[in-house]
Amino acid sequence: MHTENRTEKAATNRPKIMVVDDDPDLRHALNVRLRANHYEIVNASDGFSALALAQKEHPNLIILDLGLPAGDGFLVLRNLKTFPSLALTPVIVLTARDPQANAQRTLNSGAIAFFQKPADNNELLSVIRMSLEAASSPATPRLPA
Amino acid sequence: MDPQATSVLLIEDNPGDADLVRLRLVEGRPAVRVNCVRRLSDGLAALSNEMPSLVLLDLNLPDSHGAETFRRVLEKAPNVPVVVLSGQDDEALAIKAVHQGVQDYLIKGDITSKHLERALRYAVERQGLLRSLEITRKQQLEFKNQFLSHVSHELRTPLTCIHQYVTLLLDGLAGPIAPVQSDHLKTVLKSVSQLHAMIRDLLEATRAESGKLRVEPRCVSIGDLIAQAVTMMRPTAAEKRVGLELAVDQRIPLVYADPDRALEVLINLIDNGIKFTPPEGSVTVKACVVETDPSAVYISVSDTGRGINPGALPLIFERLYQDSEAVDGNRSGLGLGLYIARELVALQGGRMWAASELGSGSTFSFTLPFFSLAKLLYPVVSCEGQLRESLVLVRVELTPLPISLRGNWKEICHQSLELLRRCVYVDKDLVLPQMGNNGTAETLFVVASTDMAGVNIMMERIREQMNTLPLLQAGGGTLRVTADSLPARAASDARTLEQQVWGVSDCVTEMILHGLGCKSNSKQEESREYAH
Repeated sequence: MHTENRTEKAATNRPKIMVVDDDPDLRHALNVRLRANHYEIVNASDGFSALALAQKEHPNLIILDLGLPAGDGFLVLRNLKTFPSLALTPVIVLTARDPQANAQRTLNSGAIAFFQKPADNNELLSVIRMSLEAASSPATPRLPA
Repeated sequence: MDPQATSVLLIEDNPGDADLVRLRLVEGRPAVRVNCVRRLSDGLAALSNEMPSLVLLDLNLPDSHGAETFRRVLEKAPNVPVVVLSGQDDEALAIKAVHQGVQDYLIKGDITSKHLERALRYAVERQGLLRSLEITRKQQLEFKNQFLSHVSHELRTPLTCIHQYVTLLLDGLAGPIAPVQSDHLKTVLKSVSQLHAMIRDLLEATRAESGKLRVEPRCVSIGDLIAQAVTMMRPTAAEKRVGLELAVDQRIPLVYADPDRALEVLINLIDNGIKFTPPEGSVTVKACVVETDPSAVYISVSDTGRGINPGALPLIFERLYQDSEAVDGNRSGLGLGLYIARELVALQGGRMWAASELGSGSTFSFTLPFFSLAKLLYPVVSCEGQLRESLVLVRVELTPLPISLRGNWKEICHQSLELLRRCVYVDKDLVLPQMGNNGTAETLFVVASTDMAGVNIMMERIREQMNTLPLLQAGGGTLRVTADSLPARAASDARTLEQQVWGVSDCVTEMILHGLGCKSNSKQEESREYAH
């Protein structure tokens, strides 16, 4: 595993990731892996509490399942965009659902990446790292609005 | 026939016959409405307006003859019962008609009113029965597909959990593990991937059956794809001590295929070859051009395995077919691989077959069509037998940001291509298929029949449209639109229109190669740039 222990950041300025998944076992496994990679974690298990927690915690990145109780992933994506403080937070969708039917829709709804479960850990970690880097640098090239 | 509201469309060119039939139809049943037309074209027009409860059809009409007549009617109105009323007592034609979906074939001289009425009533009944059977069949298929996609989704969740925890242990995130424990966990992980592959195949087969498999053909090098597949499969071959050889003719032109799907097919065939070949045997991948078929490349994967039983050979492409004597006790999967592979090849315009000799090995072959730019260009760059006066090549360059995921990026390019198609005139502009293997940056091309002034408007439109793509803006990438006019020399010394189109096609190819950085670009001063 080359991606572990790559960043040696101080505990205080670790990037904060919010994991939204209704499966507690999966949340736990993701937590262990993300903590090992020096991220701070907050968890939500449904769409409603995800939105509430996001406003309170202001995570640097959100990992979002699509099939959720109390407001599915699409609803969360749509609502995040309505909060100015959260609209630019990168969201990575991690779902068991079929990419052919869902990838385009999630990306159009503002997610930055779509992963089907089970996802490759290294690929997921590298997209997380790059998304955080891109979100923190103001010089990201964008199309004119 | 239903006495309530019966309308019959009678397509018959002989006025005498028409009157006679009309008389017999309405005899004693004034509720029957008969609409009589004399030509097939009028009949088809009438079917566009209103579906009758039955069509009575003469085969020899002023504008159509024989089998063609009922074929056109059945195509137009697949759910309406069609009864042929013919002057010819032709049994072969009658059988053909019934096979294609005609409900009955009556001979003009033979019928009485009563006879005709009964024949028509039964025709309507039979058609109704067939329709309800067809509806039930479709419902069952739909149910099965929904069930399978639901099941595969539900199976993924626990599978993901196993995958997550096994990789946690393997990566030492739950404390150090002994080498033997690591080996065991790797076996678990291998089985997880097998299970994962089976779930994927199950979904793919379901899609193939309901016509929902998606392929996105581009212009690609089959040599590159084969090299890629062989590189990916080398470890598997080495593990079993099976040789993996390559014999690819380097002069093969580009093919028109979906690179991901073609790779999937190649990997499937190579994997199968390795599976059924004993150690020290070999698997060979060949690609060549066959003189008798100038339209496609022939690709084959041969092994020196035990071969396939002649009796089993016709069955191997069937869904769920399993080799009952799998040699090495390998878990063989669901038996969907070859079925999916053949469907994928067919969707890309090729075909797949197998040959085998028991004891000495098997060869699986498939074809993929060559990419012909001239064929695509012909209807667009020619107008009334003449080459269009002024042609422009528009380049739309998309560059992903470093964080763009490959799958997401593919989706962005796919959407951009769709969007581009909406920015052009279909009869005089052509959006070329994507070129090259799916790399990072993507360049899309449009050959437009316009001058530099016209192309400015087109580029403006493209820019405007592309800016509406939320994906590209939300972190997908950057866009650059440029245009070059095709030099007049492109077709100057060619005589026929075909030769001129070939000239244009060569010129476009050369310009595309320039743009992709294969040669130095000498016409920089002609290009107009809209860089963002």
